[in-house]
Amino acid sequence: MSGTAVATTVFAVFMVATIALGLLAVRGRGGGGGGLAEWSVGGRSLGTVFIWVLMAGEGYTSFSYLGAAGWGYDYGAPVMYVVAYMACGYAVGYVVGPLLWSYARRHGLVGITDMVAHRYRRPWLGAAVAVLATLFLLPYIQLQITGMGVVVSTVTYGAVSLEWAYFVAFAVTTAFVVVSGLRGSAWVSVLKDVLVIGTLAFLAVYVPLHYFGGYGELFDRLAAERADWLTLPGHGAGADGRGKLGTAWFASTTVLNALTVVIFPTTVAGYLGARDGDILRRNAVLLPAYNVLLFVPMLLGMAALFVVPGLTGADSNLALFKLVVDSLPAWAVGVIGVAAALSSIVPMAVFMLVIGAMWGRSVLSLLPRWSAGERQKTASQVVVVVAGSVALVLTYTAPNTLVRLSLVSYEGMAQLVPMLLLGLVWRRLTAAGAVSGLVAGVGLVCALVFTGHDPVWGVNAGMVALVLNLAVALAVSLLGPPEADDGRPDEEVLARDPLPGEEPIPLVSGSG
Amino acid sequence: NRVKRPQLWWLGVPFVLFLGALPIVNRVEPRIGGMPFLFVWFAGATLVTPLAVWMTWRGDHR
Repeated sequence: MSGTAVATTVFAVFMVATIALGLLAVRGRGGGGGGLAEWSVGGRSLGTVFIWVLMAGEGYTSFSYLGAAGWGYDYGAPVMYVVAYMACGYAVGYVVGPLLWSYARRHGLVGITDMVAHRYRRPWLGAAVAVLATLFLLPYIQLQITGMGVVVSTVTYGAVSLEWAYFVAFAVTTAFVVVSGLRGSAWVSVLKDVLVIGTLAFLAVYVPLHYFGGYGELFDRLAAERADWLTLPGHGAGADGRGKLGTAWFASTTVLNALTVVIFPTTVAGYLGARDGDILRRNAVLLPAYNVLLFVPMLLGMAALFVVPGLTGADSNLALFKLVVDSLPAWAVGVIGVAAALSSIVPMAVFMLVIGAMWGRSVLSLLPRWSAGERQKTASQVVVVVAGSVALVLTYTAPNTLVRLSLVSYEGMAQLVPMLLLGLVWRRLTAAGAVSGLVAGVGLVCALVFTGHDPVWGVNAGMVALVLNLAVALAVSLLGPPEADDGRPDEEVLARDPLPGEEPIPLVSGSG
Repeated sequence: NRVKRPQLWWLGVPFVLFLGALPIVNRVEPRIGGMPFLFVWFAGATLVTPLAVWMTWRGDHR
């Protein structure tokens, strides 16, 4: 049996097992029935372990596995913003997670679009946020398709071309998400994390020893030959400062992403699936330590500089896998391929579920024909397939590095922070103010990103746009006409961080 | 009547370690176990963050 056949067989067996595990997870729960809430937020009854794996699973995706290696290869030290924003993001999530969870629990909400619609009492605003969030999540879905495409193509030693591999990635994930829902994703996430952590720990030891004789020798060589990879602004900083990933970029990106990750629809899906708010606090304590292994792909990306030199542009996504194929037997390539593929499938499934839930609750519910139970779920699943297809088309027409795709996604989503987080704690923020800020922020971030001005003046373009967004929102709210009194007390409109042991009293019983 | 929770200040620790210290720690030397100083600092900050969040947790659960 040839190497290609061995690796492909190992890979295919695990992929079938993944789909089977997803199906097994939803058996006994009406076999895929159970409506939108069971499909999208696991019936809101997931315990510590499942919420842990779903939220921890957000850390180890193909973005961190392949993308971090790619940026380590391209730039070096700037890629460490990933561990910085995750650590800071969990600290922010300690407060924001229980806050959003209790707000959703009190009012029977299933996502950020619901929260916006409830806070401002304008269903159309929830629908608009759903459309906007979907647009900003597309680069992230494209990221996962790209990551898994790289894996499929590499594991088959090129027998499946990259173009076909992207399609296979899209088809497997879409099938998985439609049949399994959030509960299935949580089950597969367990398998994924075991494999990813196992393979990363193995590669962390094996690669430096195999190629360099140890970490000391690897860093000696980096310091001697590639010293600019080892500190900010990393490799490739232009003399004019454009494209420079220096300390200002690092700090602004870390703060922006730490604020944004807590309102990222997938993170919020994890929050809302929890049984109580304290589970989220406990996770915020433990999860930052879980991310320490993310240093491994970054270091391996830099090691790849000496083993597979000359990768440019989006090809740097291949850095880690080229190392693996170059140094390991076929069966091991297959196993590592499975780990990397699952690190694409699970987050992509959660992203697509969230898009389906957002549309089901906030857009389709406004259309009488599509707002009823099972039909709403079916329509949501159609939206999921369409969103995946658009991301697939983007993969072919606008390929990019995995990290760049993530950055664009975060810079866009960040513009929802004032409307959602500030709106939930400050009654004076008017709908007109929040919308004006959002329009200004999204307009500026699109203008900067699409004209290649990111970073701008050495600062993350999303942060510049967020500052404008906030300034406009505050100015319009404070100087413009106040909201007409809708008779709702603050307890009904605003969110609060419930103290440990304090259960919110649901004001409504249904949850969709 | 907002409840005072001074323990929330602990949540600022990762921001100080990752961002506040950046101008000082953005260097290769001194290398520790061969690792550049910046990498060692960030690895340490990643491991200290759970302790900082735990201090908040402890304050909340007294």
